[in-house]
Amino acid sequence: MAVDYSRYLAENVLNEHRTVTHRSLSRALKVHTNLAKQMLYEFHRHENAKKPQSVNATYVIVGTPKLPEKSETNGFHVKEDGDAIMQSSPYLSSSMPQQDAAQEQVSTTSITLVREEDLEDAKSTFQFIASIHIYSLQPAVLPDLNVLTDVSRELALTFPNDDPLECGSQWGMILNKNVKRRTGVRPAAPPAAQLPKTSSSTTTAPVKPPFQKEAAPETTIPASKTTSQPSKATEKTAPVKREKSNLFTSFAKAKPREKKEVSATPAISNTESAEPSGGEDVVLDDASEEEAEQLFPDTDKRASPTDRETRKEREEKLRQMMEDDDDEEMPDAAETPREPTPPIEQPPKEPELKEQASVQGGRRRGRRQVMKKKTMKDEEGYLVTVEEPVWESFSESEAPPPKKKPAVSAPKGKPPAKAGQGSIMSFFSKK
Amino acid sequence: MSTNDKDYGFLRPPSDEQYESVYREPSHYHPLHTFALPVGSERHYQQQYGDMYFLRLAKLKPAVEQVATEAWEGFNIAGEHARRVDRVLDVRQGDLCWVAGTVYMDLPLKPNILDDLTKEHFTSAPPPRRTYLDPSKPELTQVMLEDESGRLRLTGSLLSSTQLVTGAVVAVLGTENANGDFEVVDVKVPDLPSQPRRWNKTEDKKDGGKGKIAFVSGLGITGTSSDTLALELLTDYLLGYTSPSGDEDASKITRLIIAGNSLGSGATLEAATTAASAESAKKKNASKKYGYDASTYNSSPITQLDSFLSEILPSIPVTLMPGEHDPANVSLPQQGVHRAMFLKSRAYCSAPPSGDQQPEPGWFDSVTNPWEGEVEGLRMLGTSGQNVDDVLRYLDFAGEDGTSENNEDAEARIRVMEAMLRWRCLVPTAPDTIWCYPFQTNDPFVIQSCPHIFFTGNQPQFKTAVIEGDSPLRLDGPDASMAEADDSSIPRVRLLTIPKFSETGELILVDTDTLEVEVVRFAGFAGQEEKK
Repeated sequence: MAVDYSRYLAENVLNEHRTVTHRSLSRALKVHTNLAKQMLYEFHRHENAKKPQSVNATYVIVGTPKLPEKSETNGFHVKEDGDAIMQSSPYLSSSMPQQDAAQEQVSTTSITLVREEDLEDAKSTFQFIASIHIYSLQPAVLPDLNVLTDVSRELALTFPNDDPLECGSQWGMILNKNVKRRTGVRPAAPPAAQLPKTSSSTTTAPVKPPFQKEAAPETTIPASKTTSQPSKATEKTAPVKREKSNLFTSFAKAKPREKKEVSATPAISNTESAEPSGGEDVVLDDASEEEAEQLFPDTDKRASPTDRETRKEREEKLRQMMEDDDDEEMPDAAETPREPTPPIEQPPKEPELKEQASVQGGRRRGRRQVMKKKTMKDEEGYLVTVEEPVWESFSESEAPPPKKKPAVSAPKGKPPAKAGQGSIMSFFSKK
Repeated sequence: MSTNDKDYGFLRPPSDEQYESVYREPSHYHPLHTFALPVGSERHYQQQYGDMYFLRLAKLKPAVEQVATEAWEGFNIAGEHARRVDRVLDVRQGDLCWVAGTVYMDLPLKPNILDDLTKEHFTSAPPPRRTYLDPSKPELTQVMLEDESGRLRLTGSLLSSTQLVTGAVVAVLGTENANGDFEVVDVKVPDLPSQPRRWNKTEDKKDGGKGKIAFVSGLGITGTSSDTLALELLTDYLLGYTSPSGDEDASKITRLIIAGNSLGSGATLEAATTAASAESAKKKNASKKYGYDASTYNSSPITQLDSFLSEILPSIPVTLMPGEHDPANVSLPQQGVHRAMFLKSRAYCSAPPSGDQQPEPGWFDSVTNPWEGEVEGLRMLGTSGQNVDDVLRYLDFAGEDGTSENNEDAEARIRVMEAMLRWRCLVPTAPDTIWCYPFQTNDPFVIQSCPHIFFTGNQPQFKTAVIEGDSPLRLDGPDASMAEADDSSIPRVRLLTIPKFSETGELILVDTDTLEVEVVRFAGFAGQEEKK
């Protein structure tokens, strides 16, 4: 034991320059925190005897602080315990001066964290010291005491499998016989720890003392829930994949939709696995929520079929509507894989105008031929006006207005035979 | 280390001492669901708020009239007897009479609903008001008494010395003067309601009940590492790692009550502003995202709160009330923070309600604000502080006595709490200046029975007092309390203002037997390193 702790401390504090608190030591060595405090003290004394200033400590002082100077007691009725009794006061306030409570002497305990160098200073601010113990050891003076909190945060990550209900007595935690913890939901833990943990969780339930007064109904949650847990991890990925293929098949008809769907499903499954069952029930109301659902990752499985159905319905409705409107058969989208609608329908051109256009990243630019009047003086000194074709460059924004018109009227004017835009989506797409 | 120092059991080499397991006292806990709102589709916001005033008046008028009758029966000035008038509109000019009604105060700086309409044109929003009073123009403050029939303006020198706020139900004695205003001679309030005996609700009496209840509020967790030291020490203390071996207090603490604002104000504000700025960016790339966007939502405050709770929960039951800054609804009564927010701690929650039956209160109970319940047989009533803060905006306690600024403020807060109990109205200024749910059939803010401990969270300073009801002979109902011993029929209430933990590092302990109060203060010592 003795070798154990000094080696552990030497490794961590001296070699790796880490901070060790009494709690992290007690966790690591599985000893009582009070013992850990003594170990810290012994190590600190020992090392500093060998080489001064090699280890720095912080202390916790528990005690009654010295009171700041109290100026007045107003001579009111003060009970022996220091409470001022506000006399059966008729009514509020300023008309009732005797209501003023005297400065009260409430017993105060102060728990102060102190660096080694400040220990004596700090002690002098106390009237009575109930206890002093070493809080942590570190190789150098801590510039900021808040750093110590990181140690305990790390603790939770290093020892995720320690169930406080089991190990509490080992650490010297105040135990409670009446703790009610539901066994169904595991406290979130790093995924790696999931499997070993669940197996231990089934054993935690019986750990509760049998003489518990209130029989907690939570503990009697059907065993099926807990037993189904281990499969969770494996199930988690599988159903989602299956789901995806389902989606593929069901949306094979409406191709343009499928793309959206596929991109959406991974998004769901991602959040789902990142924080199991966390994301979803935020939205749910307290009453409507079924906690059981949290246990299983398959909520999305359940959700998506209904989703799919409603979407299909909606699609159906839309189609109906369209048919009513246009009074024409919409060809099934599946037969004609949708092409992107041509950006702009070729306008009926005036014969003399030519155009070279290219679509670059959505912007349409190019050159076109325009007839321009040109006036010049000829050799004989007459002014001659000539119309001649000129190339000018343009980009989308200055697209000629005449072009738009045919584009707008195009779908209507087009015979139904041209079935390229059969899909509903093309109807809603930007014109 | 010098040898004359005590070793306190820890400053010595490791020993073979065996440490006994310390067990915590059991907690007898019975929350009341007074402030629970109907869930789901049952909750409507279309109703008018007028009903609340009507309900409040209907409930409190008999009580205040009883007090007034006792006080003013046979009261006469120059041979004229005070007459009771039923409705404010029935007051006749020149008659000495008394009438009961709801106070309405018209204050110059009170928020106006029309401000909301002009809000869009603000170049910058006005800062939140500390008070609704305008000290430079005291004449703009009007006090009125209203009931279902109409309103009566109150005047008289008494008003300046009596503290009244909108929504309180009072009885006033006086006459109507030539201006049609009511000259007030005296004011009566409903006073403390009857107090249930200890162990009223819980069946198993007095087999336990030795212990302390811990109160903390305003943990103000922001998710940064700068504010967590005190919290860490608090965790250690509650788990019993701090106490000198064995016998100490921490194991006597049977329950921790967190009275609001567990998250820092910065946390939500920051998130709101980033969300607002991200809003525009979001619109640009209008791709729909599932789950929360990590850039607009900072989960670290709530995660940290969760890990704090999950660390102490194996040892101590916790009651968590939401506050102004917490992720709950803003309007009172705030409903409990949803357990889905607490990934680790929710294992200690009660099972979700199934059907009509109320589930057993959870080990970790996320309750409403305000909250009422029984702990160790003691009736508790408390809020996260919005009600007191708002009432203080109506009142002017300045310059009453020569005490220091801080002290005076704490004193005022205790007085406001006392006044609320005597008005029998927990949040008198709702719905006038505090947002609240439009109750239709009952006003839960009317205090039905007097608590033993009345606490308010998130106050600047710790302060406590005990108040007593005055007339033990006056009974409000046909209860059998007449037969009881004298001291149990006088309501005695322990008032507590619980300071913000993030600022003071203070935990308040109340002894369940004697109602004595203790303070435990957690801090790091600012030594040489800080002075550099």
